Amino acid sequence: MSADRPHRIDLTRRAARVTLVLATCAIAGGYAAAFMPGGAPTWAPWLLAIGIPAALGGIMALGAARGSAGIGKLKFPFAFVFVVLTSGFCLALGLPANEGLQSTLWLGLPVRAAIIIYGIGLLPIVVLPVAYALTFDTQTLSQTDIDRVRELAAARTLAANEASQEAHS
Amino acid sequence: MMVAHISPVFALLQTSLPHVAQPAVIAVGLAYFAVIIGISVWAARRTKTAADFFVAGHGIGLVALTVASVSTSVSGFAFIGGPGLIYTVGLGAMFIVLPASVTNVMGAWVLAKRMRLLGEARGLMTVPDAIGARYNSPASQGLAGIAMLVGIIGYMATNALAMGVVINAIFGVGIGWGIWIGMGITLAYSVAGGILAGIYNDVFQGTLMAVASVLVFLFVLKVGGGLGDISKSILAHDPKFLSPWGKMTPLAALSFFFVFGMGSLGQPQGVHKYYMLRDPMQLKWYPLLKTLGLILVLLLYFGVGVGVKAFVLNGTMAPLSAPDQATPSLLLSVTPLLLAALVFSGIAAATMSAANSFINIGAAVVMHDLPIAFGKRFTNELKWGRAVTVLMAIAAAIIAQKSGTMVAFLGIFGWGLFASTLVPSLAVGLNWDGATRDGAIASIATGLFVTLSLETASYFKAFTFPSGVTASAVALVLSFLVFFLVSWLTRRDPEKAIDPDVRLIMEL
Repeated sequence: MSADRPHRIDLTRRAARVTLVLATCAIAGGYAAAFMPGGAPTWAPWLLAIGIPAALGGIMALGAARGSAGIGKLKFPFAFVFVVLTSGFCLALGLPANEGLQSTLWLGLPVRAAIIIYGIGLLPIVVLPVAYALTFDTQTLSQTDIDRVRELAAARTLAANEASQEAHS
Repeated sequence: MMVAHISPVFALLQTSLPHVAQPAVIAVGLAYFAVIIGISVWAARRTKTAADFFVAGHGIGLVALTVASVSTSVSGFAFIGGPGLIYTVGLGAMFIVLPASVTNVMGAWVLAKRMRLLGEARGLMTVPDAIGARYNSPASQGLAGIAMLVGIIGYMATNALAMGVVINAIFGVGIGWGIWIGMGITLAYSVAGGILAGIYNDVFQGTLMAVASVLVFLFVLKVGGGLGDISKSILAHDPKFLSPWGKMTPLAALSFFFVFGMGSLGQPQGVHKYYMLRDPMQLKWYPLLKTLGLILVLLLYFGVGVGVKAFVLNGTMAPLSAPDQATPSLLLSVTPLLLAALVFSGIAAATMSAANSFINIGAAVVMHDLPIAFGKRFTNELKWGRAVTVLMAIAAAIIAQKSGTMVAFLGIFGWGLFASTLVPSLAVGLNWDGATRDGAIASIATGLFVTLSLETASYFKAFTFPSGVTASAVALVLSFLVFFLVSWLTRRDPEKAIDPDVRLIMEL
């Protein structure tokens, strides 16, 4: 293992944690703004529109980070989903609200609704679970990992049994 | 996810379903119950230990676990309350189910592998077990158990009442008898076969829900002339309905996405199932299969909500007497009677599946987690598990029958309570070695206190939230912030604070 690897691991997980904390603060700021006199200002939902994808991305990266490998190639699907969710929410907030009989329909829905239903609701499905499956053996779990856990668990059980026998004798 | 338990149930409480007690409907209903009984008898013969009873002996295959997980995730809300909510507020209600595109795979990355390996290494059976092992702390395990129990009581009572409403609609026996018949059958298979009976009944029930959902969705498209024509009918009369937020504020819709997205990581009925998978390597396809399954089951949610709105606006259907009549009215006026019967059985299936899952989880908290917190262990966990299961089911049925509108109150906050008490301590805690026992306890206590106090104040109208803000969302955000803050303030050397086997699992 190279000398800089532990540092890299720490950076991956630290970046994910910092993202999660900042995103949670942004979401909290959006909610807090709603308590202002006159109700939520127009910028409040924008904090959630950016904070929610960042929070979900942060916790996913935290969960996917693995030993010395960090998140490896998963940074691409994670970045894709962050961009899809953030741009979807921001387009829905930013595009003009002009739904009506003259609206152009995309796959049967007005543009902003189509962005939300198909973009937010369906597009990540094409990428994330497939990325999870394709990287599973290298990034998530291998038979070697399972064997290591089983060995350690067996050793722990043995030690506990020996301690118990000693206590009884 | 998720859709689940927002308050299916709460929706079902607001109105009774129309009586559909016709020979075809009753026949389908009886056939449904006969299958449930058959599966339960088979499962009872295979349940011999506490591990069999609470985690199916860690021996469930991928497909069965996936379908069962979809089934318990959805509950009756996807069939009744959800379409009614879309009918009322438009596409904003979709923000409850949209996170499904992300949540299943997020759960897999964040929790599935670590929970499954921890379960095997430590012989764990419950979600609080994992918290106890991670922090080496019976106190945090017990506190998590108490928080779960509070949410479970509400869910069980509301599901018991929902069962009464559905069974009364199918058989015309009255809601009171419906509660006891539904809980009796659920109890019989919960006690006899434990989670094993629950899982295989969930497989049957989930399949039934998926088939019913797809068929109803296709019928809606056929009657409406396709989604484009349905949209045009709505745009001609009520264009705001098809704006991305519907008639909700953007803040409220995004709040749904946050609470039902991030909150999915704390729902014990879903997380608990990671323990049960026979071979951890099968996790590879779990998120993809579960997400596809959920999409099928949720087609009805979207199709009926949008379709009924269009049909009412263009005169195909009469205006609804209440939003929750969206699905029943559509079934009785548009679809063949046999499909209506199938969907009504599917709704009964959803409520029974949810009730069974919560009975089992609640019983495990009472006879496993709480005794550990107090330094005790039952010597015969299987026998006591069955006894506690009976007591919890009877209590739920009595609460459902006797407590009036308070039942609805209990059912409202379960999702948010699980989210705010479990997500930071469990989901972040299993992935961050800097999280401390004090941080976990403070976070769980914050989630419990904030959710209960704000929901109570809100229910009794002592306090009104600004538009778009909910108690669940506030509690989840605060719980996160407290968790990080207290963990940083009380940080210790992870080498000393975390057992070696747990550390290894966290690093993998």
